[in-house]
Amino acid sequence: MNAIIAKDLSKFFKPSKGKKKEKKSKQILEKENNLICAVDNISFNVKYGEIFGFLGPNGAGKTTTIRMLTGVLKPSNGSITIFGENVWKHPIRVKQIMGNVPEMANVYLDLTGIQNLNFIGEIYGIPKKERNDLAENLLKKFELFDRRYSKAKKYSKGMKQRLLLCMALMSSPKILFLDEPTSGLDVQSARIIKQLIREYNKTGMTIFMTTHDMDVANELCNRIAIINKGKIIGLDSPENLRNLKQEYQAIDLYLINDLNQKEIENLSTIKEVRKIQDHYHIIVHDINNGIFEIIEYLKSNHIKIKKINTYEPHLEDVFVKMVNGGG
Amino acid sequence: MLFLAFTVGRTILPIYIISGLMAMVLFLTSTSIGPVVFPWETRQKTLERLISCPISIKTILLGNVWSSFFFGCIFSTIPMVLGVFIFGLWSYINILIIIIGIIIAAFAYSSFSLILSVPPTDTPASTMILTILIKFPIVFMSPLFMPISSAPLALISPLTYFIDVINIGLGEVSAFGTWGLLIDFSILLIFGFGFLFISFTLHQKTLQKRFRG
Repeated sequence: MNAIIAKDLSKFFKPSKGKKKEKKSKQILEKENNLICAVDNISFNVKYGEIFGFLGPNGAGKTTTIRMLTGVLKPSNGSITIFGENVWKHPIRVKQIMGNVPEMANVYLDLTGIQNLNFIGEIYGIPKKERNDLAENLLKKFELFDRRYSKAKKYSKGMKQRLLLCMALMSSPKILFLDEPTSGLDVQSARIIKQLIREYNKTGMTIFMTTHDMDVANELCNRIAIINKGKIIGLDSPENLRNLKQEYQAIDLYLINDLNQKEIENLSTIKEVRKIQDHYHIIVHDINNGIFEIIEYLKSNHIKIKKINTYEPHLEDVFVKMVNGGG
Repeated sequence: MLFLAFTVGRTILPIYIISGLMAMVLFLTSTSIGPVVFPWETRQKTLERLISCPISIKTILLGNVWSSFFFGCIFSTIPMVLGVFIFGLWSYINILIIIIGIIIAAFAYSSFSLILSVPPTDTPASTMILTILIKFPIVFMSPLFMPISSAPLALISPLTYFIDVINIGLGEVSAFGTWGLLIDFSILLIFGFGFLFISFTLHQKTLQKRFRG
């Protein structure tokens, strides 16, 4: 069951005269007809009720993709279906079931918090009484209720971002699009947003988010697509993506006695042993079995341990490796 | 200032002062909001979220027309009330013709202002330059503060037909004969819907460029 089906999506831009210099550095792929390819023939599905992360460096095509999904930019090629409806054939129907928080978006600064929410509620055709209650509940949830009558221009960046999320949630959407939701926020606002993303997801809401923050992706997403130069170069759960890079599963062993390096290399779970200054860096196939095997070996050879550290692959290592072409 | 540029050193009939002032105020005010809203919303980063809401681009553009229309209608009544009061034209005035004229002309000029916001820029000043380059020649080719017959390029200006409506509303004879009022209303409506159609078409083409990579 898929909430989003994106098939063979591409987006080309004509290089604009005034921005030629800027675009040249950003350009990903220049076709024969001088078009800049921001998104290059990508396909993916997002399942109902999952948090799907789109991870990539700046200029990778994340924002262009989310803009195509939300009906802001028309794809040059390919099709997008959201909850069974084609985004470009039935835009109003699709937009009725989605909430969107674009990157660097802004609230209406001269309106108060509650006026911003009421304005969006009016666009979605929510009756006045209902939208007032809805707005107040959202403001309470996002810890903005005390400032509901303050003009949004007096809000901090974190408060504005929370208000934007409230605006996206006013229509009780089935699917929520978040473009860099925690980018540049203070710890408290980021924490509130992450917690509420999890809460809303538990109620069955599908969430599609772009980020370049590995921790956010690792913490929140059920599945992650890594995009670079307009192409998806990896798509799986954070755990499976991490496991793609086995060389990052390692044990640092600090010993009192010396070790027979060749002997330990013969153990089944050991991949490679390197002596680095005062310790051994042991790369293993499987960290759990590896650590037991090493301890058994050390015990049987009466070698005493001073200190032991384990390293599991981090999403960031996988990301860097994939983006730099080692994927 | 524009008023002084047109009137100093000339003998002008009170009716032409009122109709000229009203046309100038209505045209300049109802075309002042439209060109600024889109670049402003692009710069403020509110446009993208608005577009991802379940409303069409036409609805957003009509919202722009409505605000310009409202603004123009309010401001154009000021010179009318002042002029009629100062020159004592109460006995000649046909308020219904004037109100209908203001409504139709405000719609036409507001629709025209949408065309000025077509360039996909996020700098309101850029559209203001274009606005000045287009609006002022229109003002200068219009028969402001003078009989319509004495302005050779008057027929191509949308202001001319509103001036004629106001002149009729203040007791003057139409410059376009017996069916003058009908011609004025029809041409203003044609201008209005024509501008609206052009702006819808052009905005559909340039909107995507506001959100490029």
